[in-house]
Amino acid sequence: MTASLFQLPDELIISALAQAFPCREAQIRALATLLCPTAAPCRNLVVYGTEATGKTAVTSALLARLAPQDDGADDLEPPSLRYAIVSSPECITARHLYETVVAKVAAALEWSDAPSRCESLSQLHVELCKMLKYPSRPSGFRFVLVLDAIDRQREAPHTLLPALARLSEIIPCLTTVFIVTVPSPNLLLTSSVPHLQFPTYTKPEFVAILSARSPPAPNPLPNSTPQETTDLWARFVGAVHDALARAACRTLPALSHSCATLWPRFTAPVLAGTHSAKEFSKLLVAARLLFHDDRLLDPGVLAVPPSQPIAKSAPAPAPAPAPAPSGDTKPPSASAAPPPPPPPPSTPSRSSSTPATATAASALATAGAGPALARLLPSTARHLLLAAYLASHNPARHDLTLFSTHHHGRRRRRGGLSVSGGGGGRGGSRAAAANKHKKIARKLLGAHAFVLERMLAIFEAVRGEWADGKDGAEVPSDGDVGMAIATLASLRLLVRVGGGGDMMDSGGKWRVNVGWDVIRGLGRAVGVEVEEWLIE
Amino acid sequence: MAQSELVDAPFEEDDHRVAFIFQANPPSSHEKGADGATARSAKRRKLAGSSSSTLKKHQQHGSEAANASVGVGVGFPPLFGGAESPEAASLRRELFDEAWPVLEKRVQQVLRDANRNTLDEVAGFLKSAAGIDADKLTSAFIITGPNIAAQDLLFEQLADRLCAGDADADLPGGDGADHAAPPRFVRLRASDAPNLKAVLRKIIRDASAAGPGGDEEDAGAVVVQGGRKYLDYDLEALHVFLRQHQTRRVVVAFQDGEAFDSVLLTDLISLLHSWRDRIRFELLFGIATSVELFQARLAKSTARQLYGAQFDVVQAGSVLDGVVKTAVASTHAALRIGPSLLRTLVDRQRHHVAGVHAFVASLKYAYMCHFYADPLSLLLLGGGRLTRALLQPEHLEAARTLGSFQAEVEAAVEARQLRHARSLIEDDEYLANQILDHGARRREYLLRLLRSLHLIAASGLAPLSFTELYMLALSDGLDVSQAEPATLPLQDAIRRLGPDDFLALASRLLGAISAGSPELGLAGFAADADDLVASLTDLRDEVDGLAARARARGQGAALKSRYSAQSRVLRTTVVAHKVQLSRDDATLTDEDRAFTAAVDRLCDVLARHLRCEPLADLFLHEPWTFDARAPCRDVFAPRPGTTFGRALARPHDYLACACCAAAAAPAAGPAGRLDPALPTAAALYHLYLEAGALINVADLWSAYYALVGGGGDGGGEGDGEGEEESDADDGAESGAGLDERTALVQFYRGLAELRMMGFVRPSRRKADHIAKVKWL
Repeated sequence: MTASLFQLPDELIISALAQAFPCREAQIRALATLLCPTAAPCRNLVVYGTEATGKTAVTSALLARLAPQDDGADDLEPPSLRYAIVSSPECITARHLYETVVAKVAAALEWSDAPSRCESLSQLHVELCKMLKYPSRPSGFRFVLVLDAIDRQREAPHTLLPALARLSEIIPCLTTVFIVTVPSPNLLLTSSVPHLQFPTYTKPEFVAILSARSPPAPNPLPNSTPQETTDLWARFVGAVHDALARAACRTLPALSHSCATLWPRFTAPVLAGTHSAKEFSKLLVAARLLFHDDRLLDPGVLAVPPSQPIAKSAPAPAPAPAPAPSGDTKPPSASAAPPPPPPPPSTPSRSSSTPATATAASALATAGAGPALARLLPSTARHLLLAAYLASHNPARHDLTLFSTHHHGRRRRRGGLSVSGGGGGRGGSRAAAANKHKKIARKLLGAHAFVLERMLAIFEAVRGEWADGKDGAEVPSDGDVGMAIATLASLRLLVRVGGGGDMMDSGGKWRVNVGWDVIRGLGRAVGVEVEEWLIE
Repeated sequence: MAQSELVDAPFEEDDHRVAFIFQANPPSSHEKGADGATARSAKRRKLAGSSSSTLKKHQQHGSEAANASVGVGVGFPPLFGGAESPEAASLRRELFDEAWPVLEKRVQQVLRDANRNTLDEVAGFLKSAAGIDADKLTSAFIITGPNIAAQDLLFEQLADRLCAGDADADLPGGDGADHAAPPRFVRLRASDAPNLKAVLRKIIRDASAAGPGGDEEDAGAVVVQGGRKYLDYDLEALHVFLRQHQTRRVVVAFQDGEAFDSVLLTDLISLLHSWRDRIRFELLFGIATSVELFQARLAKSTARQLYGAQFDVVQAGSVLDGVVKTAVASTHAALRIGPSLLRTLVDRQRHHVAGVHAFVASLKYAYMCHFYADPLSLLLLGGGRLTRALLQPEHLEAARTLGSFQAEVEAAVEARQLRHARSLIEDDEYLANQILDHGARRREYLLRLLRSLHLIAASGLAPLSFTELYMLALSDGLDVSQAEPATLPLQDAIRRLGPDDFLALASRLLGAISAGSPELGLAGFAADADDLVASLTDLRDEVDGLAARARARGQGAALKSRYSAQSRVLRTTVVAHKVQLSRDDATLTDEDRAFTAAVDRLCDVLARHLRCEPLADLFLHEPWTFDARAPCRDVFAPRPGTTFGRALARPHDYLACACCAAAAAPAAGPAGRLDPALPTAAALYHLYLEAGALINVADLWSAYYALVGGGGDGGGEGDGEGEEESDADDGAESGAGLDERTALVQFYRGLAELRMMGFVRPSRRKADHIAKVKWL
């Protein structure tokens, strides 16, 4: 067996794996060739692809099969492949990574000595040499070290990857597999490293993978056979992919989550008996609104609706959880993935309905957050938050116009400024208009920093007007105002800009940390129209 | 009160001084000074070991020691200028020691009960979510409100509940082997979590040390299994530890979820998520505002890893109502908190604090003030312990200064009870007897008050919360009739009742009478109120019979009274193209008329029984009420800014020197007037108020020198910019000014003082200018 120079691993293994991971046969074969000690083992291997394309899952499953099982048979034939998989996002520091690597390798080799501390890359080299290079191993022995998501290692020194790539030069029997999202050309600073790409699934592949699973909750649809249900599911998955994949769900877990979310709604007519499972196009027309609206797919933290948490959670909640993706098991992270291409212009009906949905969604958020804040915060804190918003969004030079009662006895609100703009427009109206055009509404810009004392002055100026008679009767003491500021700061509704200095230093700079929607809701809840106090 | 304390012999003079004067080398004879110096040097030394914990222990120990030393029954300092007998003083102390713990226990009970529902829901959710979604982290979002102090109690209870309650509850469940051991509970605060490493370190340390097996050696967390040493932020260590303890669950509670850095939180959640197949983390978030705001700070990919549900805690308002009911109003409370103080406290809750703990602290402070500083609080002694021998002549004298005493005497004179009035004023024995009797009167009043309130609250007719009702009853009295001085007109509400509501009301009232109210500490009082019970029962039976008869007639029309809206119908008839409106109220049957009479009688009965007079009308109510707002305000809501401003604007009120007396005299003109005799900082403060945002120091100096400098030479430079008043001052001041050097020294010192107090700061925007910092 060992006499043969090139021998691919058992076909049985590969076909079983290909069945478990549909649409990944090419990658499985390539990986098997590159990892199997009897085939064409390489020293370093870079496995790359975007998230949820099965890199980790395929690699670990393949290694698990290639490595000999621990049944009684293997004492005749010494093990020729051992492996260790290290998930690097779980390692907090580089040192943590080294120690984990050493510990895992020791565990895989059943090394008996207690591992010593391992604080640097050179110590890692020494430790690995001790375990892998010096002991005599049978010929053809390989050790595979898989470093999963190594490009996301925290606190990694910049020499980490090149140094890890040198490991296999020092230790001949070692294969190091780097699993990364995007390999840069000089990732390992070494030449001729084989790269193996796991491409994103195409539409037929998506459909094939999702069709391989049984459809979720209303599984055998009423009034239809299981075969019809499965057919409908396959066509449904294709439709979801066409409608949403480019914009909302480009990965397998996201798509399967969308399908699981939309499936009960899509099949509601079948449940109700108005359509049969065979009338796919009618169902599609009935459910076309679902495909326009990606709000349903937004992953909220609340799985159980807040209205009746217990009544809902006692039985199994209605939306079936997304089944474990067959592909990648690492946490999907948006940050590491390359930015998606801008969604192509879609059908007119879609683009026309999107703004309506967006406003509906934002109105919903406003309705939720503003009054909730108003209910929760005591009145001083509410007014302070509004004053902070004004201080963040009005330029300081307009304060006198807005808040002074000196000249007119009452405050001029935003009318004052626009009048002056109109006056200027008489001379060069075109230039003014062009100027106006260029300006972005201030409330759409980010919040500016303000001095604490200025916010307190604004608070003092508007408090009397905002608070109705009995609320404003008592001047809040400094301690109470300070407490309200501390409350807001601890809730991160107000944040300090720039470090240093005491928290209550009145010269400190602050910034409001809530958006216009919340503030408007809060203002309305306490009876203040915040818009009137903003300089346009 | 203040004066009497000032003269106290056993207390150091310094303890009551408003301001302290710093002396660099204290007089050697003064033992206290030396003591203080050693104490300070000891504090300066760096403490060995982990400083925070030892310090805390130290403080706890210290406070315990202080408690112990005070608690052995050393009385309060004697009042009446030291004339109070030590016995009376120690009795006051005893009274306080008896009264407060009762209240505190009841308050704690209320707070704990308030969280019970939330605890049940959270525990239920965690249990039910266990099997549902293995791919997400179970997380409970608890909306606590911005009341951070109360969250401690809540999370403490949660820890107890989840660690203790689950152990036995899980055994019958599905995979009992997995859950046999209770979960580990880790509480995190934002201040514990500066970075990921520190958080992990805390999680691992707390999870492996806390819990029922907490007394095992700590080292087990670090070194395990074949001598491998784990890094202290390696979750592998926790994994191994948990495997040894046959559990997989760790509950991590983020007490103030919003205060955490969102990047850190995202990192931590995804890390915990990646470990979910080995350690089952369950997350609890205390959220002060709303889940939407919280979610907006998390990355979407993080949000996808959570399987959450939202839980609400009982809001501070209703908790406050419960606290007022069980602690302030109940019969167990020895001392009544007066209506105006209570109003202040409740308003403060609503506007500023929203935390029940501050309310309780204010309550305690009120109790302390009363028993510490009011000698007449002795009269609260119950159970026959208050004897004539205890009453000193000073007590009687003090009683005669009370407002209610004067009101009583005046009322007696008005009512021509001259003998009563005269003996109150002149006869000590008579007054002493009155005082000895007043305990019974107090109890009787309170019983009447609380029973009436209880019935009103039980009737559900009043649109006010219990707190409002209670404050209303104390300040204005209770009167439910519709007559003019009525404070709580309920008659309309009663009249609008239909027969079914009428029966329900009568039953509710009867039930309330027989059940009493455990919250208020009222036992059932059916025996005491037999006439009320009898009339209510009669009315109920009568209306019941009437309704039955009306039904028996079968005309479909329900029983109605004259007052109910249906009996008056506007009728529209069209006669010869003219519309006629007529009022129709002639359709009352005999039964209806009888029902009307029953409603009227119910009004009468209730108006007769549900009444009590305002607290302030009672003779000798001061010894058992505390209604002073100033002490609580001074302690809990100080306003240093205003105080500074006022002291600088009008220093004469605080300095008792000769020139000040002249300046403070009403003839000296308006208060804000500049005067060379003002302290430098005060004079500069006046000039500062007139200046703009940036102040030129040279201008300020010339203005100041014009004010204090002698006669003509200084005034010449400064008055160009409109220093008319300083000119006028100069004229008035007869030229005995300071020379330039002294004035300059004073000017610099005054400016430095202003800077110390945070009014100005150096500005980099313009040379030689200082910036105004305080605008209020």
